[in-house]
Amino acid sequence: MVHTTMEGSLFEPTLYIVKGMCILDNDGNRVLAKYYDKNVLPTTKEQKAFEKNLFNKTHRANAEIIMLEGLTCVYKSNLNLFFYVMGSSHENELILQSVLNALYESVSILLRRNVDWRTLIDNLDAVMLAFDEICDGGVILDSDPMSIVGRAALRTEDVPLGEQTVAQVLQSAKEQLKWSLLK
Amino acid sequence: MSSFKRDKKEEEDSGGNPYQNLDKTIVLQEARYFNQTPVNPRKCCLILSKVLYLLNQGEKFTTQEATEAFFATTKLFQSKDVMLRRMVYLCIKELSTLAQDVIIVTSSLTKDMTGKEDLYRAAAIRALCSITDSTMLQAIERYMKQAIVDKNPAVSSAALVSALHLSSTAPDLVRRWANEAQEAISSDNPMVSYHALGVVAGSRKNDKLSTVKLVTRLARSPLKSPYALCLLIRLAAQLVEDDDSEASQPYIEFIECCLRHKSEMVIYEAAHAIVNLRKTARDLAPAVSVLQLFCGSSKASLRLAGARTLARLTAKHPTAVAACAVDLENLISDPNRSVATLAVTTLLATGAESSVDR
Repeated sequence: MVHTTMEGSLFEPTLYIVKGMCILDNDGNRVLAKYYDKNVLPTTKEQKAFEKNLFNKTHRANAEIIMLEGLTCVYKSNLNLFFYVMGSSHENELILQSVLNALYESVSILLRRNVDWRTLIDNLDAVMLAFDEICDGGVILDSDPMSIVGRAALRTEDVPLGEQTVAQVLQSAKEQLKWSLLK
Repeated sequence: MSSFKRDKKEEEDSGGNPYQNLDKTIVLQEARYFNQTPVNPRKCCLILSKVLYLLNQGEKFTTQEATEAFFATTKLFQSKDVMLRRMVYLCIKELSTLAQDVIIVTSSLTKDMTGKEDLYRAAAIRALCSITDSTMLQAIERYMKQAIVDKNPAVSSAALVSALHLSSTAPDLVRRWANEAQEAISSDNPMVSYHALGVVAGSRKNDKLSTVKLVTRLARSPLKSPYALCLLIRLAAQLVEDDDSEASQPYIEFIECCLRHKSEMVIYEAAHAIVNLRKTARDLAPAVSVLQLFCGSSKASLRLAGARTLARLTAKHPTAVAACAVDLENLISDPNRSVATLAVTTLLATGAESSVDR
């Protein structure tokens, strides 16, 4: 019988719910990843193998959720980025989903709705801080994107023009133009 | 898909990805730049994120390399740039397990934790607790207690979550903070309330009587935070499992009440608990009908949650699940393969011969 292995069990009353979070590029390579449980995928080698497997199983179908290697993984993709949140297979899927939403939405706000690989790389520090604000050692720290972004200390855009590089000035001009067109 | 791929590669070639082909020794050399005054926040942030990126990719740092990088990072405390300071905290946390003599930053972090800048305080608490060992905990105990009941939710949550982590190494000390944590359960902020409940419940883990008191009290004045409610349902369910006499009736009632909550997360948590606790098919009916509804949801995670819990139920109550056969049959062709597989196996386990043809 299939079901003897997954017979009824209550969820464990713990705050340590998130086993891992990662962002992969469209080749399945790690852009950022954090694993929070020493007993789950302890080495980088295992983690990266898992990420490859996860990517292969998920990059074509945007099916939101998958059970893989004893973990429940919720995911979401945009253009060339893939966002994943992992939890134990004995976990409330909807809690994991709320963490994924928090991750995706906060990154999206941080990147000013340009959720693509290039913009992410240019703002990697802010995204690292967002990771840190969403989950602390496996405990969900915050799930409200606005408050996460507020805590991740958005870089103040008041750098004097003289200290910006040409590329930065061009980038911000491009962004302003794009937003004015989108309005 | 392939066009996106090409886009990215082209960009990679022209745009100059600062994280491509990073070399550890070069990055560590760049970290020496932290000694220069005045500090250039943007430049230092980039170097710190390179260090963090390398660690994140699994690059191995020797103790000496990590210690050098750590000490270079501590020089950046002289800058007041918020973003940079936050990156410094992050580096401290990541390097704290690899480097030696990390307690050197204790005083800087204690200063930030008790300072005026709220954005510093929350993050400083978390960084401080990651470098502090149980012998040094007493020195910061007073500040921790204050922080737990702080008005700023970020500060309060940071202190509570740190307390939770510390309770694995210094349970007795953390237990002394339970009064403050207790107070924080009634916070208006949903996360603070959740974290506080976690700390209090953790400190009472081996004391059944006080857990009973806690759950009874909170079940009567329901919590606002959906996460806290999920945790409370788990605690209540555990009490029922330990003792399923008449005495546990109020907990069952509380959990059933949560089936009518407005948050899907809480509804599912309650349904899952009931399915695993209740013995007769009649008692199960309200929970099963909720799960049935989930099976028809447009969100895949809801369909999976519903189908998975029903699948688990087949072993105990095949008849209760058989009533959902039609809903499960609809899931056989589900675009999500995990959902479809679950539906098929469940139907095979419960199905009558008549339904096999369909």
